[in-house]
Amino acid sequence: MLEGVARAFQANSAFRALCRPLSNTWVNLSGYRRLGLRYDDLLREETPIIQEAISRLNREEIDLRNYRHRRAFQLSLSHQELAGPQWTKPEDDIKYLQPLIEEVSQEHAERDAFNSMTSVRK
Amino acid sequence: MLCSKALSKLTAVRAYASASGVAPTVLSTANGIKVAAIEGQPDSPLASISLVINHGSRFETALTSGAAHYLKAFGFRNTQERTSFRTVREAELNGATLTASATRENITYTVQCFRDALPYFVDILGDIAAATKFSEHEFRDIAKLVKFESLGARENPVARVLDGVHQAAFRGGLGNSLYALDSSPVQTGDAVREYAASAMQSGRLAVVATGVDAPTLAALVAESKLAGLTSGTAAAADAKAKFTGGGHQIYESAAPVSYYALAFGSEPSSAPVLASLLGAQRRLKWGAGASPLAKLAFAEGFSAESFSFSYSDAALVGVLVSAPSAQIQAAVEKVAEVVKSSVAKAEPEAVARAVAAARLDVAEAQATQQGVIRELSMLALGQGPAASLESVDGAALSQVAAKVFSAKPVAASIGLSQTTAYVDTLGF
Repeated sequence: MLEGVARAFQANSAFRALCRPLSNTWVNLSGYRRLGLRYDDLLREETPIIQEAISRLNREEIDLRNYRHRRAFQLSLSHQELAGPQWTKPEDDIKYLQPLIEEVSQEHAERDAFNSMTSVRK
Repeated sequence: MLCSKALSKLTAVRAYASASGVAPTVLSTANGIKVAAIEGQPDSPLASISLVINHGSRFETALTSGAAHYLKAFGFRNTQERTSFRTVREAELNGATLTASATRENITYTVQCFRDALPYFVDILGDIAAATKFSEHEFRDIAKLVKFESLGARENPVARVLDGVHQAAFRGGLGNSLYALDSSPVQTGDAVREYAASAMQSGRLAVVATGVDAPTLAALVAESKLAGLTSGTAAAADAKAKFTGGGHQIYESAAPVSYYALAFGSEPSSAPVLASLLGAQRRLKWGAGASPLAKLAFAEGFSAESFSFSYSDAALVGVLVSAPSAQIQAAVEKVAEVVKSSVAKAEPEAVARAVAAARLDVAEAQATQQGVIRELSMLALGQGPAASLESVDGAALSQVAAKVFSAKPVAASIGLSQTTAYVDTLGF
């Protein structure tokens, strides 16, 4: 129910236009870019779907992701931030994991559908 | 009764096919994909459909070595339209069997199913040809399977020695291994996608089916993604195979059994009957029969089997000797002597025996669904009609045998190869 409402809002172009200026401020305030992270680095990874999605990243992307995580932990421990020019730029904050998560969720949904299928004799 | 009716229908088509060289049931779609079908027994619910890609290991280059093996393994995997999970589950619901196989010339994806499911599987084969994803995570899974198959072949001395005899006979091209080695330069899904792009060209493809007539099949193919493929270079423009000659030794001195393959170059059409003339295998379990090679092997206590490999423009026919390593040297020399003295100068009765045995073997192979599929794909891709043994001329065959079995052979050995003769010292 709530998900449907959320989706309706997301699809509404007027609502999107209204939110866009706010969203950048919101992202900047949340501070993850100041630690050099990307939004997809923050997704909760302890689920089978996201584990599978991460395993589908190529070697280079995994290395970069691990590097960003370690750097961010270190900064957080020492109560520091990166210098301004090293912050994640908005154009670099790409959703590298989201498409894979969607792909894997679809596969899981498909598997569930087949597993709970009832056959109808014609 | 039903059985004989079906057989007469099949042989009628085949007789016409071999008499005219082109089967009446081979059609071509607008973009040049060959379509061949045999309706078969009308009241049988069985059908099969295969996508045959004339881009097997013989078309690999140094940079794509092993790619054909990977392409075979990518059959029925994720496409833009369907996940491989869906393909497999829906095939199971239809009671169908999916197989992928490869020869040195062709990669074949086959579906055996019920007739009413054919349109669905034509769609699937179209997806495979036009929209397989070749994603990296899938490649990593597939690489494990490919490695396992390659290891299996490496552990099998017969497979290795037959691979070796191809390598000695043809060097590149048909000499390429069917299996991807660990050292294969193909290490990413992208590399397989690139090889597939050169394979999935309409001039290289054939769709062959049983249990449906050719026009219906052609209409189904025209509706599938196969119709969107563009034509590339036709297979005929590829380099011709050349029988070079030479030897290939693999040393495994501690092996208890050694293998030696001695092979001659021949015409593709005569290879099966020449193999039968070599007649090394016994057709009775407890007797040697009349063939000189079989008698020799029986008396000396080693094993000799004749083999033939026919390709579109070349063929190998020969004998595979296996013996305890201590005996292999003598066995090979005796076999070579018998080939020179008896097989190359075969008596008319021996030729008659060979023709009869070869006809039985061919008829037996053609009675299976796999045999029919193989034959249809050869017809469709112009890889020569199957051996026509109805009208073999004994005298002509003796002459062919004399020529083939006195020419320079190739050889491959595995095991105690230090003792076995180099092929140029066997005196051919």
